[in-house]
Formats: sequence, C-alpha cells, structure tokens
Amino acid sequence: MLSKTTTTHPAGLPRNDVSGSSDPITTEVIRHALNSAANQMKRALIRTAFSPIIYEVLDFAVAIYDRDLRMLSQAPSLPLFMGTLNYAVDEAVKGIGGVDNLDPGDVLIYNWSYGTGSHAQDVVIVMPAFHGGAVIGYTAIKGHWLDIAAKEPYCTDTTDIFQEGTVYPGLKLYRKGELNDDVYRIIIANTRMPKAVAGDMGAQVTGCRVGVERFEDIVTRYGIDTFKAAVEDMFDHGDRVIRSYFEKIPDGRYVGQGQMDSDGVTEGVVPFEVALEVKGSDVVIDFSNVPEQTRGPINCPLPSTMSAARVAITMLAGYGEPPHEGHFRPIQVITREGTMFHPVAPAPCFIYGWPAMQAIEIIYRALAEAIPEGVPASSGGCIDSCVWWGVKDDGSPWMDGAPHPVGQGAWAGGDGGTMLHVAESATRFTPVEVWENRNPWVVEQMALAADSGGAGQWRGGAGVDFTFRMLGDTYATTVFERTKLPPWGLAGGGEGRANLCNLAITGEDLQNVSKATGVFIPAGERLEFHTGGGGGYGDPTMRPVEAVHDDVTDGYITKDFARRNYPQWQKAVGGT
Amino acid sequence: MATRIAVDIGGTFTDLVYFDDATGKTVQGKVPTVPAAPEEGVVAAIAAHVPQEVLTKAEYFLHGTTVGLNALLERRGSTVGLIATEGFRDVLEIRRGDRAEMYNLFWEQTKPLVPRRLRLEVPGRTMADGSTEGAPTAEAVATAVQTFMAHDVTSVAVSLMHSYANPEHELLVERYLREAGFEGGITLSHRVCGEYREYERTSTAVIDAFVRGRMANYLNRLEGQLREAGFTGKCLITRSGGGSMNFSEAEERPFETIMSGPVGGAIGASEFARLIGDKGMITADVGGTSFDAALILEGEPQVLFEGEIDNMPILSPWVDVRSIGAGGGSLAYEDGGGFMRVGPHSAGAEPGPACYGKGGEQPAVTDAAAYLGMLGPGELASGITLDIDAAERALTSVADAISQPVEDTAAGVIRIAASSMANAIREISTEQGLDAREMTLLPFGGAGGMMATLLADEMAMKKIVVPPFAGIFSAWGLLGADMVQSASRTLVRPLTDAALVEFGSVFGDLIASIKARGETVPDAEASLKLDVRYVGQEHTLSVPVPLNGLDLAEPAATIADRFSALYTKTFGATLNDGVEVTAIRAQLKAALPKRDHSGGPTTASTGMTTGDIAAYSFRDKKRVPFKVCPRDDIGTGVTGPVIITETVATTYVDAGWTVRAGDFGELMIERG
Repeated sequence: MLSKTTTTHPAGLPRNDVSGSSDPITTEVIRHALNSAANQMKRALIRTAFSPIIYEVLDFAVAIYDRDLRMLSQAPSLPLFMGTLNYAVDEAVKGIGGVDNLDPGDVLIYNWSYGTGSHAQDVVIVMPAFHGGAVIGYTAIKGHWLDIAAKEPYCTDTTDIFQEGTVYPGLKLYRKGELNDDVYRIIIANTRMPKAVAGDMGAQVTGCRVGVERFEDIVTRYGIDTFKAAVEDMFDHGDRVIRSYFEKIPDGRYVGQGQMDSDGVTEGVVPFEVALEVKGSDVVIDFSNVPEQTRGPINCPLPSTMSAARVAITMLAGYGEPPHEGHFRPIQVITREGTMFHPVAPAPCFIYGWPAMQAIEIIYRALAEAIPEGVPASSGGCIDSCVWWGVKDDGSPWMDGAPHPVGQGAWAGGDGGTMLHVAESATRFTPVEVWENRNPWVVEQMALAADSGGAGQWRGGAGVDFTFRMLGDTYATTVFERTKLPPWGLAGGGEGRANLCNLAITGEDLQNVSKATGVFIPAGERLEFHTGGGGGYGDPTMRPVEAVHDDVTDGYITKDFARRNYPQWQKAVGGT
Repeated sequence: MATRIAVDIGGTFTDLVYFDDATGKTVQGKVPTVPAAPEEGVVAAIAAHVPQEVLTKAEYFLHGTTVGLNALLERRGSTVGLIATEGFRDVLEIRRGDRAEMYNLFWEQTKPLVPRRLRLEVPGRTMADGSTEGAPTAEAVATAVQTFMAHDVTSVAVSLMHSYANPEHELLVERYLREAGFEGGITLSHRVCGEYREYERTSTAVIDAFVRGRMANYLNRLEGQLREAGFTGKCLITRSGGGSMNFSEAEERPFETIMSGPVGGAIGASEFARLIGDKGMITADVGGTSFDAALILEGEPQVLFEGEIDNMPILSPWVDVRSIGAGGGSLAYEDGGGFMRVGPHSAGAEPGPACYGKGGEQPAVTDAAAYLGMLGPGELASGITLDIDAAERALTSVADAISQPVEDTAAGVIRIAASSMANAIREISTEQGLDAREMTLLPFGGAGGMMATLLADEMAMKKIVVPPFAGIFSAWGLLGADMVQSASRTLVRPLTDAALVEFGSVFGDLIASIKARGETVPDAEASLKLDVRYVGQEHTLSVPVPLNGLDLAEPAATIADRFSALYTKTFGATLNDGVEVTAIRAQLKAALPKRDHSGGPTTASTGMTTGDIAAYSFRDKKRVPFKVCPRDDIGTGVTGPVIITETVATTYVDAGWTVRAGDFGELMIERG
C-alpha cells in the first residue's frame, strides 16, 4: 500500500564555492587535526561520564560539523549515532531561533526523536564554534542517558512518543557560558537517576567545549579561507574513495529482505525490504518498500535511516578510513513518509535502533547478490540488549544496561569472530566482575556456545550463552531481535543459531522473553541469554579437514555437528 | 656515585652508555642489535666500548629490552594452559566485544594466547565480596593437568573470578597443580594483579605465563655472560611503569617488563627535567619507525595502570608513552584518491630510506629531510653518505602522483609527519588539562633533533631542550633508574576516616606481599596512592597520600580535597558528589646512588666541516642558507637557521629560533 509519495535524500551535501585554496598536504594536515579534535572530545567525555553506558559501553557519538552541517570529523564510538548528528544540530539550532541567536559559550540540548533519529534517551548536546564573531560550525555529542522519565527506564511496548520520555525541544542549557538553571532543574526533576543524568550531561558539555576550543584553534592557525578550501578538498577526496568502490560493482538493482520479529506491541513478524541501486559510482538505497509506521516502537526516524545507509556504505567502501561528509556524497536514500523507516509524530520509536541495525545487514545481503565475496554472511544480527533495574538492600536504586556480543558472519577469507554487532562496533560490554560489584546478581556462565556458528568453508563465529542469577528482585527490559530469522550464510554457507532470551523460574518451563518490557525476575531466579551465531561462508565441504578437526578439539563444534556438516571430516576420522 | 653501565636494545641498534665514577665521565656507544640472540649484542657492546677495569668495578648493570615484547608480538613464548572458573573459560576470547578498527567490517580479533582446548575449568565461585560458593576440586585440577601434559604445556595461568577479593581458590588450584605433578611455571592472576576486570586480569596472567620461560632464559643467559666477562655488580631491568627491578624479580614478574624498552627515555627525561628544574616537559622520541611522546610533570613521568600490546590488555603500571607509527623511516605514498599519506609503514632497517643507498625506492621521511638539506651536507657521522639523488627519485614518484613539485612534496612529507606527531602530543597534554605552549619540548632519538623546531612550531611551544646523548637517550635514561616494586588491590569503599583504617591495613598487606617476593630493595621508601573517583563514575584519578611510617598521614577530608583539586585541573570542573576509593597502590622505591652530571658527553670530533648549506626553511617556505655547526661549537648562542651536527644525531634549527649550550651538555633552543 504505497499511499504516500517518496522522497529522495542526498546523504552528503555538495561542495561549496570557496575563495581560498589549499594543497593536498595542508588538507591532509587539517584532516588529521579535525580527527584528533574529535578524539579529544571523546576522551574528555569518557573520562568524566558517570554511567557505564557511556564510559564502558561507549553508547555515544561525537562529531564536528561546519556551518552548513557537513560532518568534518568524528571519533570512533557508536556508528549508528554517527550519521544522525547533522539533523540534531540543525533542529537544536532552529529550536533556539536560528544561528543568529547563538553566542560564544552557548550550549544547546535537544532530544526530539524525529530530529535526533533516536529514542528520547539519546540526548544531544551542541556547542557552536566561532571565528571572527561568526559561527563556523558546531561540536555535538549524542549520548544515551540512563533515564529521562519514560514510562519505564527502557521500553519495547510504547504506543506513542510521549510515553518515551521527557522532550527537550532545542534549549539553551548554557547562555554565554552560564548555566541556565531553569532548564537544568526541569531535566534533573524528570529522571529516576538524577545523579547519573547530571554527571553524564556535564561530561557531554565538557566534551563539546574541548572540541570547540580545538576547532577554533585549527581555523585560526590555518586561516578561515585555507581551512574552508581544505575542507572542500577533503570532502572531494572522500567522495572519490567511495565512488572508486562502487565503480567496480556491476550496475543493477539489488534487493535484500529482512524482518522484525514483532513491532513490540502487536504479534506477528514485520517484513521489509531494502534495495540498492548501483549506477556507475552512484548508489541509491531505497527504503520505500517497507510497512506503514507501526503501532509498536520499531519505527526508525529518518536521521537513523540515513545513518544506517551512511554506516553500511562507509564501513564497506571507506577502506577503514574515519568517515566525513565527502564519503556520504555518492549515496542517496529514498524513503516514504509515514513508514517505519520515515515515521512521523507521534509514532513510537523506542527501539528504533533495531530496524536500523537490521537495515545495515540487509544492505549487505542485497549486495551479496552482486559481490558475494565482498560482504560477510549475517552476524547474530542484534546487539541483544538488556536494561535492568531494582532497589538494592540499602534502599538505593540501581540500573544498568548493555549490549552483548554475537557471532560474526564468515566471509571469503575468514571465519567469523565473536563481538558486538557491527552497528555498535567500537562499543564494549562490561566485565562480569565490575557488574557483580555494582549490581545484585551473579553471572553463572559466559561461554561460547558449541555449534552456534554456521558451517562453511569459512565458519560463522560462535554465539554466547550467559546465565544471570539475580540476588534481589529485578526488572528487566530485553531487546533480542532476529529470533525468528536465523543468521544467513552466503555462497553455500550454513545458518547460525538465532538469538533467544529466556526467563528461567525454578520449577517452571522456560519463558521466551526476547522482547519484553519490565520482566520481573524474583530474587534467586535466572535470566538466560543465548546470543546468535554468525552465518557461514562457502561450501562446508571445502573446509580443510584439519580446520574442522581443530574446531572439534576446541569444542567450537560437536562431533555430531561435524558429522552432519562436514562429510570430509567424517570420512577422515572414520566411523567415530 | 657508583660506576654503572646501561644497555638499551632497540630494533636496529643496541645502545650503551656507562658512567665511570673514577673519572666522572659518561661514555656512549652503539652496536647492531642481534635479533636472534639479543644478549650477544649486549656483550658485544660492552666488549667494544667498556674498558675491562670499568666493567670489573661497575656496581650496576641497567637494562632495557624488548625481548618480552617481541616474544609477545611474534608469539614465540611458552605453551600456556589456563585454568578458569566454571562457565568462564572463554573470557579470553570473548574479550569486551569491541573492534580495534571500528570501520573495518572484516576486523579479526587477536587470536588468544591460549587455544580453547587448553582453557579448562574448575568448580567453585568467589563472589564480589570475597565470599565463596563451592571450591575447586583436586579431581578437576588433576584432569586439567592430564590435558596440559598431553599438549606439552610448560606454563599455567590460573585466573578465577574475583580472586583479587579472595585469593583462596587460586592458591588451592596452585596446590592441586603441584600435587597432580605439574612442574612448570604457574602464574596466579591475583599475584600479577589485584584488580577487578576478569578479561584484563586474565590477559595479564596469560601474558605473564607466556613470556615467563623466555624472559627467564634470556635473563639467565645474559647474567651468566656478564659474570663471565667479569661484572660483579647488581643486574637491573626497567619496568613498564618506570624504575627498575632486579633480574630475579623480573623472572618472577616478567609481565612488568614488557614495555621495558620505550620507558628508558621517559625515565631519562624525568631525571633531566629535575636536573634543569623544568616543571612541565613533553618528550618527543623520534626513532626509525615510531614516535613516542610522554609527559613529564614536576620531574615525574605519568604512570597509568593499564597498558595494551597487540590488542591484549596488561594490568600493570605503565608509563604513559604514546606511540604512533611515524618516524624517520615512515614511508610516504599516494593513497589512490590524489592525497599523500605518511606512515605507518616504515622502510625499516632494510632497505631503509632510499637515501641510505641500500635499495629503498619508496620515499621515507628521512629522504624528504635529506633532500631538503635538513641533515646537513650529506655525510652522517655514522659513516653513511646520503644519496640525495636516490631520495629525489623516490620523492618524484609520489610528487608526480599528487601533481606537486618535488620540493613541495618533500616539505609536505615532513609537515604531515610533524602534524601527526603534534596531534599525539596534543592528545596527551590536553587530556591532562595542560597547555603545551607553556611546556618544554625534549626531542631525542635518531630523528628527534631533526623534527624539534617543526614540532614546537606546530604546538606553538617556545622552548626546546635537546639533551646530551640525544641519539642514545633511552640508554642514558636507564643509568638513573631507581629501583621500584609495586602492588595494588581493588577495594571499593567510600573515602571516610573509618575506611582509612582498612586502607592502611591493606597497604600494610601489600607492602608485606612485596617484601615476600624474595630479594627486596634495601632502604626503600614506601609510598601510597589511592585511586579515587566521584561515586557513580568509573574512571579514577590516582591521588598520592603522605605516610607516617606505614600509616596514612592525612584525614579523609584532606585526601578528598586533593582529589577535587586534581579533578578540577584535569577536567576543568568539579562535582559535589561523594568520593570513593577503588584501589590501593603501594610502591617501594630506592634511589640508586646519584650520578655526577657535570661531565657532559665525551664527544669525538664529528669530522664535518663547518659551512653553509641551502636547506628548506619551514618558516620561510623556501630554501635559505643554513649554517652548519658541530654541537661542541654552539657556545653562548647561534641564531637559526642552523644545522647542528654531532656523532649520532642531527639537530635542525629553523629560522626564528636561537640555540645556545646549556650547563649540562644540552642545547637550549628558544624563539627569537
């Protein structure tokens, strides 16, 4: 039912005319300096943040933009956030009345989901940078806050945006360096975790300030004209890098199919497709053939849809380079307003990130049609998140949340490893010993699961089995997607195991709670995670017998699995 | 004062320095490194440069080596077995789930040092508070030993959950291992590291087990050969965290020496900063393949408590030396998109830069410098005659690819290298809340002097000090290394006067545990640091606490104030929250007898002519006449542009700088 018209969005803004000039060497020096500035922002943030979700999980993105909101640089953090911040900066500045209302020392705060692309917990802090009295750009940090007074600390079952947390519609948190106490007090009043929120907000402000100082230094040092010229050259270069990749891909339209297990509220899978059109060095990513926005919160606002496209393409075709606006230029994105990849208010968006991370792998799945050797098989397909909370013995509230590692897809030339989903590629999960010092639980196991990775000439990475025994009454919200669509193999490789989260109450049957809000786990009972394995790549019979034998000896696969999937091993070892 | 010999083994050269108490002279030398048998290079260096009477009377042999590091990087270590808590044998492989290269879709995680078949489990669980459920059994350990023996395991690491809080289970496993007949080395994780984070602690224990045999063999062979040659003094090796330890302790705690190599420069810089009374210094050690920067504040290097090698974490004191892949050998290339990149690939020792005439064809940073005249007329004191034509040919290939003149391309190579180095410096100084412009740059290493004024210009720094012995400064630094031993333990408590009693008792235990390591440092001074944070934060700052004997000499409120002041300095703001302690760090330190610095380097004649050369000025963006002047002739002041030659290094001083000789053999370079 394609009722509404589609819109085409360029993922990268074009070149500006500039009066000055740069040379390849100065441009390279400025590129380094901008990346270094973003890295300094990141370090300042990590070192001052209060929540493990920031300092351990790195659930944030930092970036620097020019006045036209083109991304100059960013620091390795959460990829999915990285491509959203231009929208957030734009809306935050509009919120305070436009660029003319900005003064040095101002700090803006903004979190409206349709402008940030994220759920409301992902709060953006923006600071303008000035040169010669004029705004020359912005530093911005989007970070996940533990709680901003949604109906639950974390939700999979919201039905409109207003259940999802307090809205900061583009406000001055600081005016000319002075804290705006009224705004601050409203923020602190609307959270279950005021200390953490105050601390993390302060850390984001510190990070933005560090970036602004450095950004202004760079412009002063090289002069505004040279700086602007260098930036245009840098963008042109990134543009060429991506184009040189797509020039080698045969022209055509490649379609990938994906699905969500449910929308979180209504039963039933939600299928969608993402198509890639490659023409010369241009690539169009088409999100128009997707369902209308859903009743439950799997709607992915436009900035995150754009980000998924930007991340998927730059990770594939950027040769490992830190991306900037230029890398986005060859990409165009098509969406249809009112659909799950371009929802409109007040559609709920709490678990927007899951369709976005699905989309990244669906894009690779589509490309596999053209270049199977150029993309990996499916990973476990999810970040397998859990957010937990309760009250400690001393009466204080506790709350924690983390993504968990999954098996990675094999590719032509390598077995898959075990790590977090590529959409959270630089993030980490918390050590068990730190968890147990902080939270009332005992982790009984954290083990690679045998036979969980897909067979193949190159095998998929193993998924992980976690068992948590709660020491006090606990509530948890779980988001395990892709429990019904197992990780696909490529070029003849086998499927990996799908994700699963079970509630294990003594004396009762296991209860699948893979996508559930506020699951109650009484003290002494357990929650079990079985994270997905990676898909295999290539015909399993092509895997060398020794490699299969090593996998058996190391327990990555059982003998039974080896027998079923690798006849060459069966033949080599005889009838055992 | 005591006669002492220091030897620092680098990738290309083994550097030697000795201080002779009788003459007050410090003497330097260099021989090629023998990668297959590094101790032979040490002995060769001694034979070549140290007179027998000096060797015989020397009281200390101080050593920095990359033997442990290389064993780790090249995976040439023991076959290690790991014993883990039931349910946790995969900690080493699951890691923290991150990718070192965020934008690399195909990034492969570092292969664990212990394959899964040799990662075995025992029952029993220790909790965060140190309480236990069940216990390891002799049967489970015996079964593990059978597997280990079948796989020729020679070294076992035991890393059980929360062992820092209660080591009982690890000690039990150690006993059972011996009872089951295992005779190889055993590393217990709580002994290498008293801190939480099971992946990082396990990684540290496994690294210790992995390099233990190799280090012990190496140190034994080296000591044997030194004794044979007539050395009767004490053998010391530098620690990753600064200071030195004797060989016998290093054999027991080899993981503490992994970064022994690069630390010598930071130790030397600290001593030199104290000598000239410099409060804030940034080191710039420019070698062939890497650039190492460290921060020296109030004469002390900055010490972290975690390091990383090849994506494997090591929880041990670690001098914060930031390394990037940029040095004299770093290669320039066109990146396929019309831009020029420099490094991290290096020409290495073979073939080396094109201008060395050993077959190198790609342009290295040194080629750009040679082409631009930054290295002087073309004859290096080390006997190499620079082949400027070869440098030009190499540069031309890249210049053509980016459509720039050769001259601009060569200058560009230097500028890009300098800007990468400057970014590394910015990141260490900004992170500490420091303004590099107010600090002193201390360049050393083979190419440190060449990059000095460029780096200072990049950083808007006003003062550069080129130390004596700049070409072998890491070895020189070893001469002054104090003897240090340390231990730490995780203990999360609010910072209150009541808790201080517990900290004091843990501190006493830590000191006792250090002393139980066998030969300890005589006349050592104990010191204590607390890792402190605001309640709710994770990252901590280490706050020194004065002692009265072995008791904490300050109330909690004073310690909290010091923490707040440090926090404000570091992060520019402070918070009104409660303060808690997460770890207690104990150190014993004994200074070696002070050495005399009045002698300065004994320099041979460089054999180079004084004169002029048309070299490139980065200030003037063109070639200008540079004076060429031997280091000994600098005297009270020479105005740049000038190129200063000496036996093992060249210092390039751009226009806009003035250089004079300092009191201790250093060159003072200042703006103006």
